[in-house]
Amino acid sequence: MSWNIGANDVANSMASAVGAKAITIRQAVFIAGILNIVGATFIGAHVTDTIRKGIVSTEILSDPHLVIIGAFSALLSAALWISFATWKSLPVSTTHSIVGAMIGFGIMAGGFSAIKWDKLIAVIMSWFISPFFSLIIAFLMFKFIVRLIISKEDAFIRALKFSPLFIGITFFVVILSFLFKTPLGERLSVSTPEALFIAFIFAVIFGFAGMLLLKRFIKNKENGAEDIFRSIQIGTSCYVALAQGANDVANAIGPLAVIYFLVKTGDIGVKVPVPFFLLFFGGIGIACGIAMAGSRVMETVGKKITTLSNTRGFCVEFSAATTVLVASKMGLPVSTTHAAVGGVMGVGLARGIAAVNFRIILKIMLYWVLTVPAAAITSMIVFKILKLVL
Amino acid sequence: MRIPLLSLFIKSPFSGLLEHVEKVIECVFAFQQAMVCHFEKECATFENLREKVSKLETEADIIKQHIRRNLPKGTMVSVDKFLLFRYLKEQDTVPDRVEDALDWIFFKPEPGIPEELKKDLMLLIRSNIDSVEEMRRMVLEAKKYFETFNETQRNMVKEIIRNIRGKEHEADTVEDRLKQKIFAVDSDPVSIFHLMRLVEIIGSIADHAENAADLMRAMIAK
Repeated sequence: MSWNIGANDVANSMASAVGAKAITIRQAVFIAGILNIVGATFIGAHVTDTIRKGIVSTEILSDPHLVIIGAFSALLSAALWISFATWKSLPVSTTHSIVGAMIGFGIMAGGFSAIKWDKLIAVIMSWFISPFFSLIIAFLMFKFIVRLIISKEDAFIRALKFSPLFIGITFFVVILSFLFKTPLGERLSVSTPEALFIAFIFAVIFGFAGMLLLKRFIKNKENGAEDIFRSIQIGTSCYVALAQGANDVANAIGPLAVIYFLVKTGDIGVKVPVPFFLLFFGGIGIACGIAMAGSRVMETVGKKITTLSNTRGFCVEFSAATTVLVASKMGLPVSTTHAAVGGVMGVGLARGIAAVNFRIILKIMLYWVLTVPAAAITSMIVFKILKLVL
Repeated sequence: MRIPLLSLFIKSPFSGLLEHVEKVIECVFAFQQAMVCHFEKECATFENLREKVSKLETEADIIKQHIRRNLPKGTMVSVDKFLLFRYLKEQDTVPDRVEDALDWIFFKPEPGIPEELKKDLMLLIRSNIDSVEEMRRMVLEAKKYFETFNETQRNMVKEIIRNIRGKEHEADTVEDRLKQKIFAVDSDPVSIFHLMRLVEIIGSIADHAENAADLMRAMIAK
């Protein structure tokens, strides 16, 4: 399952950087692999918790045997459905599949009352909100860049002047997500204002260090401003990979965590954080997927996506990653792809892209409506079969 | 491959516009060759050139249709779609008019252009072609502008638009002078009618270039 995520979804984060020739495919595979592991291990706990006990009410399910079968069938059916979708080249989301599968198992095992509908509604709402949120960020970001940088005569100098801001914001959000409400943050015992302060200091340092590097390595040419954004794009690609690790690891590890807790403690209702090694294991799985199949996917996507220039690519990646990371902190499983789609639309609405095909919204809605019940039904069937067998 | 992100991107209509205007230029040059040929008595290649122009006109038409087909409802373009299509229509009228002019000559090739008018007619053709060449530059620079939104680039496009307006005015002056001359040179009513109509058709090329320029001005407006 996590292999699948790595193989397919990595395209979202690295493809535009590869397409813009900011990095090579080999570098992209390496960076994406590492950062997915880091993101999964350090920030992935919230979403995993949601999948583990947010959708199916664990209190109602008292029979451990049933729960193991259920979690297993959820994982299996989500993997089945995604493999089927990949084979049929349907653009479905791994996130939606696993949520659907968990619903299916919940209904089968404990009836409709076993589903935490309020939590589920929050999750489903997040699927609407995340692309929209990403759209707004991308729109504002692009307008900002046009207004203050690329429309000016001295675009290169202005881009350089503003580069600490872009690099800084990225680092600020990343560092904050590491310190804020994570096991790492708790161990270091940093409070909220402290975390904000630390993140701010680091953001300033990294921002200006980044500017110095850019100044050193990039020559002022006609297209200098785009060149600066090309370099910044390497950073935002990493940002996407990190956010993706944080959010998507739950898709694979969530059900596994259910089994793990049951075997370990005999009870799933306990409020114990998801162990590090389990998340790490999920991250490794994603990284393996990237390493084995990611380069092929990226090559295809990277070649096709060159329509996106560096400034646009930066806006899309920045907005998508910020959305996903914020969602991860709130424990909401959202789709990286959909956040990226929202970002592209935002730049499109800001007139940054010559032509955008908005009809994809309908397609996404369709597959979304299709995926959840399909994964749920598959999960029900697998559950029934396993129950008979075991 | 299941990457919905990709289906978001469609071909930029501006590269389509550029492709179209290149075809228009090719067509206009073939027209010029045909006219030069017609000026000489005993021209053998006129018919071939007329066919070439007509072929290029059809090709331009296909590009136009292709651009339109690629922007159905639900797609968003960075400029007003209506303006874009209106612009394309003006740009596409240029090869139409060029073809009309050659057809008009084809209907009545004899007795040809009077010796006294050849120089002025050539001037008229030249000034009309100038405006079309300027139109090509306009598309090229506008395409760059829509990529960078750079103010310098925008001013360059505006400068070209002013140029096109100037060229149209120039072409008008040449046309008026030529019409006066036609009455002075010729006395046969049928020849006069034929020449008048020919001059008007050729003169309309710059008008369409100007219309295109006006629409481009609206597209780059903030």
